This record gives sequence, structure tokens and C-alpha cells, in this order.
Amino acid sequence: MIKKLTSLLLILIVSMSVAVPAYASEHQQSDNKELSPKDIIFEHLGDAYGWEVPFNHHVRIPLPVILFGKGGMHCFLSSRVQDGKVYHDGEYSFKIAAKGEPHQGKVVQIMPDGSIYKPFDISITKNVLALFIAALLVIWTVAAVSKWYKRHEYKAPRKVVGMLEALMEFIYKGVIRPTLGDKSLKFAPFLLTVFFLILYLNLLGLMVVFPGGANVTGNIAVTLVLAIFTFLATNIFGTKHYWKEILWPDVPLWLKFPLPIMPMIEIFGIFTKPAALTVRLFANMLGGHMIVIVLTLLIFIFAAMGPAVTGATTVFSVLFSIFMLLIDVLVSFIQAYVFTMLSTLFISFGQESGHEHHEPKQESAAAQPATK
Amino acid sequence: MELFTPDFGLVFWMFVAFAVLLFVLYKWGWPVIVKTIDSRADLIDKGVEYAQNAKEQLDKAREQSEAYLAEARNQQADMLREAERIKTKIIDDARSAAQVEARKVMDAAKQSIEQERKEAQQQFRNEVSNFALDIASKVVRNQLQNPESQSKLVNSLLDEMETNN
Repeated sequence: MIKKLTSLLLILIVSMSVAVPAYASEHQQSDNKELSPKDIIFEHLGDAYGWEVPFNHHVRIPLPVILFGKGGMHCFLSSRVQDGKVYHDGEYSFKIAAKGEPHQGKVVQIMPDGSIYKPFDISITKNVLALFIAALLVIWTVAAVSKWYKRHEYKAPRKVVGMLEALMEFIYKGVIRPTLGDKSLKFAPFLLTVFFLILYLNLLGLMVVFPGGANVTGNIAVTLVLAIFTFLATNIFGTKHYWKEILWPDVPLWLKFPLPIMPMIEIFGIFTKPAALTVRLFANMLGGHMIVIVLTLLIFIFAAMGPAVTGATTVFSVLFSIFMLLIDVLVSFIQAYVFTMLSTLFISFGQESGHEHHEPKQESAAAQPATK
Repeated sequence: MELFTPDFGLVFWMFVAFAVLLFVLYKWGWPVIVKTIDSRADLIDKGVEYAQNAKEQLDKAREQSEAYLAEARNQQADMLREAERIKTKIIDDARSAAQVEARKVMDAAKQSIEQERKEAQQQFRNEVSNFALDIASKVVRNQLQNPESQSKLVNSLLDEMETNN
């Protein structure tokens, strides 16, 4: 079995090392354009108005563009403005700003006098659609497991439902319950939703073709909103003791009286925590995608240097990008886990009741069954 | 850098999508699952506790049954011993009673035998004496047919009487 697999892999690699460079050089010749790795990388990492299909650079799945510009709301499919086309809606026209123009890559409105106006853009872009798909997957997940529970009560689920349930139990019992204790019922829905949404977005992002391939969790807007939700959950449900610790912490008086040094640091800390959450998830996922794309692009960059070099680069790149993708599968899970864990931790800071002597008691009570 | 500036449209949709997702799941999704996980954990804990209790009780019951068994065995031994004792006593009693009875019977038998013997002796003696007297009378009659012998007898008798006196 393993022998067969290795030989298959070898054949694949050899054929790729011949075919891909040929395709690459041919492609370059036919397009007759300078290869710009930076543009390709940013195109793949960023958002888009259409969703690309495999093996074709021109056909894209059209997605709705929704704009609030001059003259009210404008709705049209992204295929109308694709590839530099201009869409005319009455007296207004729209196009995607070309490279070098202001608002590059976004849909802009061309006014009758020729000036360019950036409308209020809430289009269903590739990332938004990917987000919706992931959200539906999360809903399906939860529905599947809760349906099982309603039908079978305490019977252990099998197959896919069993796997999902194991994940839920892993997060709930391993992260939420030990950190939040009695309050876990209140925050568990939020934290579990965050975990599954991030996990699905991460894993969908690793799939190359539709409905995957969108770099959603590697987009700062998405991680920012998730972090804002954690921030709100922490501070809206924060206890009196939590606010006292921030505004009047338990430190020597000179640190907080004439000049509120500690309170300022603490207030700063309120905002750095969600910022750290935002950047951690964003940077990790962006980095993972970027490495895979760069490794793949190496083939095309070296395509100019002759078949031998290109062949060697292809083997190297493909093996490394497979390796990186496998690592990214792991990273997808770890980052979802870390985001959930840190959110749980931050929320638990907001839930401190100030009765410190209660905590060891609870801990010992919780530890007792484990030692039994 | 466009990568580091959040796009408003995406922020908006992310906010809406996440809020809707959270609302839906908060209302109809997670509570069922979380509660089931919790209650199942409780159930398992309770099950373990129950099993432990049951095991303890079983151990206790086993100990108790062993104690009962030992007691029963003791009682059985006691009863057997008692029965043995009663048996020997009964046998002894019976034996002594029988001996007494036997002795009585023997005594009675002896007595009656003695009686019989005496009576028989008496009878025998009477008969013998009768025989003797008959014989004697016959003998005497034979001897005393001639006067000489009669006088001789008288003389001898007289001699005897003299010597006896």
C-alpha cells in the first residue's frame, strides 16, 4: 500500500515537473506580460467581487454588488464590472478601480462629470459568501448534534456527529467549564460559536476550489469583529469587582492617586486584549496562506530560467506547499482553539467576583472527582 | 497596505452574520447541547458513585452472609453436639432401665425357680419317703415272717435304744 502510494506520488511529481513548467512558460508567452508575484499574492489573500473557478482565469462565479452611492442603492452582479468593464445604471456608471488608481480593486462610481466617487459598499463579496457558507455549516453542525441529543438523549453519537460532539465536548469541558465554572452556561454559546466559525473558515480557506479558498480569517475585518464581540462580552457583563480592579487596583496609593498610572495601564489593557486577539488570528492565517502561495509562485518565477531549474523548483515547491498545507490544517485548529481559549480567559477576567477565598474551595471540589 | 485596513463592507457583513448566527444558536442551538453534555457528565458521575455504593453494599452483604453462614455452621455444630448428647443419654437411660427390668425379671424368675425347686424337692422327698416306707414295709414284712428274726429285730432295736441313751 505504502509502496504504491510512494510510486504514485513520484509519478505525479515527475509529471508535474515536466508539465507545470511547460504550462507556465507557455502561459507567460501567451499572456506576454511581466509576472508580478506581488499582485498575484495580494489578489489571492484579499477579497474579490467574484469567485474564481479552477483552471480558468477569466470565468468567475458572479456575486451581487450592493452599493449605496449617489442616486441611492445600486445592485448588480459582479460579472458586469469584471475585467475592467464599466456598468451603466441610468446616468451613473461603475467600474472596479484599476491598479494605480485610488480605491484600487474596489467598485467605484463614475460621476457624469468624470470624477470618481467611492460609494458605501456592502457587496456580497467572496469573503462574505464564504462567511455565510461557514455560518450555515456551523448551524448545520449544531442542528445535527442537538437533533441527535433530542432523539437519543445520552447515547453516544457515531460518525460525523460523534466527531463534532467530541470537538464540542473538547472545547466545553476542556476550556469553558474549567475557566468559567458556574457562568459557563451564559457564555458557552458565544465561545462555541466563535470556535466553530473560525475552525470552519480556516479549513474552508485551505480548500482550493469553491466553496473554499477564501482567506476570511486572514482578513483583519473578520478577526476585528470577532475580537469586538469578545470585548463586548467581557466588558458588558463585567462585574463590579472587575471594574474596581481596573479603576482602583490593589496597588500602593502613589501608583494611582495623584497620577492614575495603574488605572491608565489597566484601561489600555482592556483594548490591547482584543487587539492581540485580532492580530494573532489574522497574522497566523494570512501567513499560512501567503507561504503556500509564495511556494507555488516560485515555480512561475523560476520558469524563465530553463526547464531543469523549473523542474527542480516544482518538486521542491509542491512538496513544501503540501507540507505547509498539512501544517495549516493543524494551525487552523490550533488558532480556533487559541482564539476561543483567550476569549474565555478574557471573559473570565470580567467575571471575577472578588471572593478570592471561594476559588480554592471550588478548585478543590473540582479536583476531588479527578483524583478519585 | 490594504491588507491591514479593515474593509467596511466585510466588517458590516461579518457583524450581521455573526450576530444572527449567535442569536440563532444562543436561542435554539447551544443550550440543548451544553445542558446535555452537563447532564450526561452528571449522569456518569452519578453512575460511578452508584456503582461504588453498590460495590460497597455488595461487599458488606457478602461479609454479612459469610457471618451468617459461620453462625449457622456454629449452630449446626451445637445442635449436632446436643443431639449426640441426648442420644447417648437416651441410650444410657434405656440401658439402665432395661437392666433394672431385666434384673427384676431375673429375680422373679429365680424366685419362682427356687419355689419350684423347693416344691419339687418337697414332693420328691415325700415320694422318696413313701417309696422308702413302702420298700421298708415290704422288706420288714419279708424279714419278719419267722418269729426268730422278729425277736432278733426287737433285740437289735432295743440295743440301739440302749446305746443311744
